[in-house]
Amino acid sequence: MHPFGDLSAYMDGALSSEARASVEAHLDTCALCRTRLAELRGTARLIAALPAPVPSRSLVPRVSVPLWLAPLRTLATFASGAAIFLFLASAVIAYFPRMQSAGTASAPAPNAVSAPQASNAGGAATVAPSSQDFQLSPSPAPGVTTARSPVGPSATPSDAAKEVGRQDSGAPSLNTLSDRSRAVGAQEPAPFAFLLSPALWLVLAIVFGALSFIVGRRLRSA
Amino acid sequence: MRPEPGGPSDALLDRARRGDARAFEQLALEIERPLYRHAARMLGHDDAEDVVQDALLSAWKSMASFEGTSFRAWVFRIVTNRALDRLRSRKRRPELPLDPPTENDDSMSWAEPVAQDPELADLAADREALRVVEEALATIPADQRAALLLRDVEGFAYEEIATITSTEIGTVKSRIHRGRLAVRNVLISRGWKGSSG
Repeated sequence: MHPFGDLSAYMDGALSSEARASVEAHLDTCALCRTRLAELRGTARLIAALPAPVPSRSLVPRVSVPLWLAPLRTLATFASGAAIFLFLASAVIAYFPRMQSAGTASAPAPNAVSAPQASNAGGAATVAPSSQDFQLSPSPAPGVTTARSPVGPSATPSDAAKEVGRQDSGAPSLNTLSDRSRAVGAQEPAPFAFLLSPALWLVLAIVFGALSFIVGRRLRSA
Repeated sequence: MRPEPGGPSDALLDRARRGDARAFEQLALEIERPLYRHAARMLGHDDAEDVVQDALLSAWKSMASFEGTSFRAWVFRIVTNRALDRLRSRKRRPELPLDPPTENDDSMSWAEPVAQDPELADLAADREALRVVEEALATIPADQRAALLLRDVEGFAYEEIATITSTEIGTVKSRIHRGRLAVRNVLISRGWKGSSG
């Protein structure tokens, strides 16, 4: 009776001492079992010699890294990208103002004047007395008021005030006060005007980019 | 290949048990490749990475409750169980049961060598033999494959394999022998001259 079923355990050293002695005694007298044992040994050697597959990435979970670090990197990356976009958009708006002013000039209104124009007008109104204001202004021909109003940048509130003041010379102080208050209102910046500053978005893009880089290095080194 | 008792890995194991995440990562790094090798031969590449990563994460979560002495065997147990579960859920090859009906190991058939072909007679010296072994491993039942790989590739003792696969030593002995014999038969049928290997 061949002990085929014990040959693997025998070669692996997993048999009891009595069973091992029994198999060894049989192997001494049985060429077939010796051949089978050699085949099993050869098979085991081939299995052990199989090329080892290698994972395509690290499989060790980074349990030493705080859980919030990875989302923070993602957030910082997206924030940096958004800041770059806003930087470019604000730069376009800031460096191409003619496009904007050309659009507004087609429909002028006293409240829609640009800040520099308003400040100039305000300065004139505040520095010069109302009588001088009238004197310094050119004397247009009658009827020019309506013709000049759609001209564009030159049609400032002060001009309009001059025209009105000329027509109503009996109350120049009231016109001056109205002109002054309008100028003061135009000098105040819009509450969110700083959002149009390219420098702000550039700084934010750099800050968020640096944060993303630093957190990414921390994640990689973990 | 295996850490000696009382060596640096034991100190790491103690630290990992106390919740030291870096110690656990270092322990896991030491067995990452063998775990993947085992899982990949059980499942194939696609699922092996996920299984190993999930198993290591699971090991970390239950690290405080680990009371054994062999971290390696413990994680191999998790990976093997998950691989077998995944194979069961696949059901791609229902004709290959995980553990076929037991038959007497002594009565299993041994394929006889085909006519001696000089070009095929020494497959063992050729890469072709390794490819045949891989093919043969893929065709044997998963439980046999797991036991055979744990023994011949990873070098676990029968007792450790019994613990890893949650079976009796007698079952481990049978699975290893049957799996090894099945691979041998495939090799012999391809012209391998076993005694020369």
